[in-house]
Amino acid sequence: MTPSEGARAGTGRELEMLDSLLALGGLVLLRDSVEWEGRSLLKALVKKSALCGEQVHILGCEVSEEEFREGFDSDINNRLVYHDFFRDPLNWSKTEEAFPGGPLGALRAMCKRTDPAPVTIALDSLSWLLLRLPCTTLCQALHAVSHQDSCPGDSSPVGKVSVLGLLHEELHGPGPVGVLSSLAQTEVTLGGTMGHASAHILCRRPRQRPTDQTQWFSILPDFSLDLQQGPSVESQPYSDPHIPLVDPTTHLTFNLHLSKKEREARDSLTLPFQFSSEKQQALLRPRPDQATSHIFYEPDAYDDLDQEDPDDDLDI
Amino acid sequence: MAAVATCDSVAGSTGSAVATASKRNVTSFQKRGPRASGTNDSGPRLVSIAGTRPSVRNGQLLVSTGLPALDQLLGGGLAVGTVLLIEEDKYNIYSPLLFKYFLAEGIVNGHTLLVASAKEDPANILQELPAPLLDDKCKKEFDEDVYNHKTPESNIKMKIAWRYQLLPKMEIGPVSSSRFGHYYDASKRMPQELIEASNWHGFFLPEKISSTLKVEPCSLTPGYTKLLQFIQNIIYEEGFDGSNPQKKQRNILRIGIQNLGSPLWGDDICCAENGGNSHSLTKFLYVLRGLLRTSLSACIITMPTHLIQNKAIIARVTNLSDIVVGLESFIGSERETNPLYKDYHGLIHIRQIPRLNNLICDESDVKDLAFKLKRKLFTIEAEVQKGVSTATFLLDGPRKKLFPCLFQLLGVACIPWLMASSSVFKVSNIGESLCYQLSGFFSAYLFHF
Repeated sequence: MTPSEGARAGTGRELEMLDSLLALGGLVLLRDSVEWEGRSLLKALVKKSALCGEQVHILGCEVSEEEFREGFDSDINNRLVYHDFFRDPLNWSKTEEAFPGGPLGALRAMCKRTDPAPVTIALDSLSWLLLRLPCTTLCQALHAVSHQDSCPGDSSPVGKVSVLGLLHEELHGPGPVGVLSSLAQTEVTLGGTMGHASAHILCRRPRQRPTDQTQWFSILPDFSLDLQQGPSVESQPYSDPHIPLVDPTTHLTFNLHLSKKEREARDSLTLPFQFSSEKQQALLRPRPDQATSHIFYEPDAYDDLDQEDPDDDLDI
Repeated sequence: MAAVATCDSVAGSTGSAVATASKRNVTSFQKRGPRASGTNDSGPRLVSIAGTRPSVRNGQLLVSTGLPALDQLLGGGLAVGTVLLIEEDKYNIYSPLLFKYFLAEGIVNGHTLLVASAKEDPANILQELPAPLLDDKCKKEFDEDVYNHKTPESNIKMKIAWRYQLLPKMEIGPVSSSRFGHYYDASKRMPQELIEASNWHGFFLPEKISSTLKVEPCSLTPGYTKLLQFIQNIIYEEGFDGSNPQKKQRNILRIGIQNLGSPLWGDDICCAENGGNSHSLTKFLYVLRGLLRTSLSACIITMPTHLIQNKAIIARVTNLSDIVVGLESFIGSERETNPLYKDYHGLIHIRQIPRLNNLICDESDVKDLAFKLKRKLFTIEAEVQKGVSTATFLLDGPRKKLFPCLFQLLGVACIPWLMASSSVFKVSNIGESLCYQLSGFFSAYLFHF
């Protein structure tokens, strides 16, 4: 356990990123592109999990085994279980080493294991599988593999499974990439500017808000990670509003503000339909000096001033 | 209204009802309710099942969706025999909550549950249901919760438009005497005894299907076929379609299907735009709706429509479902930093409400709805636009927020002392009524932007 302890005792910050990526388990999707390649990050993660004592399986489809193992120490190389699908992808040589079902069969076989030890499976690469297998089958297999440990009432507790998948996002349309990122527990998108690589990490914990962070890093030749600060600060101030707050009342042709006096006058105004107690008193007890209501009648030229009561001849 | 509807339905069964009525000298206006005399009644008899109630508009039997605020928006509840489709939000955080509320409501009312999922084991889903609030002491916690979030402005009484204070607000607290629509505490789990006492069936796709099945083109995906057979078996065996006449006590079957259309069900509409099985999902919904219409069941489906590549499929799916509710969360979008939305976690779009035995549907007046997940409660509110400072956003805001913004403009521009304090339900009502009178003048002004 000395190498793993040595790895953990190293500067905490440098290893935090890899730790956080591997801690959650499930499917870790590494999205890279032509400019920012992700295989070195994949190998760094593989090295980290090998040093932590986990079982590491590699499904190598895109590069040869020698190229993948290049750069690893011999003890790490001894810990890796490598399934080679690069040399003979369609199994024409009919050797018994290869899995009968191809890479998909290998994935499905890993679903059925009962080992309580934690396992890391590295898929190099997921794009290769996505181009050759139907997307739905691959998603179902990935889901089955990465969710073995999520059954609480299981009799045989299975250890945590991490599936690291390298996806070249330029090879696929938005559909498969969207589907895989919705299945993934952690999604790392590689990018960068001016020679500095960055990883945008999105963690989706179940039933919690996803958290994202951007980390600048570089990978050293022995596949350990060096975290960096990032280039000159090009801060995107999200705190500033996109629209500068303009007071809309500055250029109006009418006055919207009330001065203090006006406000007081407004508050003390009794509205016509408000039934206040003063009004009630005034109606109940008419004051004697208050003039009773008058009717001022100015007869018009057309008004009929007949004093006779038109209802006189009615027999009521 | 209900009595007239009864009359119409009785008269509609031509001849026989009239004949029986004339025989017995009974009018065709029948009073609803339990009959004291044991005689056979010719009027329609309501099925009284726990947890259901008839709609006040057309007598349709309704079940609660688990969220009384959502029930109110859907016109009283979810009609028995219909499908509620929830379009998932991008990170699938809030749609499982609505799914669980629906199932929890079924357990509390004693309905039978059928949970189908390709992602999680149904037993695990049932373990995570929220706990119901059945006591009155919980009402005090709710009132405190609500009070802490109330803004001081809403406590000002209106001096001029005082009649609008009497308008009913949206219910956000528990009503003690409600048998329809319960409240749940999202921070606690449902007690184990309630889950075990309930009758539920689970369908977990990886267990039911072997992976080497061949799929013929232009047919249903095997996952969907199995699910439909499973649902049909349950409906038939347990007598939800009336096929088992010995059953005395009728019950409702609540079906919940999670993540329908995702590749975990074997469907590739999310992966490719023109897949081989692009009609599989629509066929499934069509057959499912047929099964539901002929049985006493209600179904909730969550679907990741943001992943579906072909937009025509989304339109077809919407047409094939009865109620469609879309959730849009603000996480990760630029709206998260918009101060207009700082109180809320996302928007709810009611995209479709069915017209069942009716010419019109029961739309609510409020169209701008936002939801918020508080510690214990999932609330749905109409968006509130507060004060004059929001006039800056008026100029750049989206068109659909026209009416509440219009009222704010009126308040700001013309009649300052008429501007009532903004509170949840009032603003939109006043705005709309004023709008209809003045829209001619202002529409020209506002549509310049």
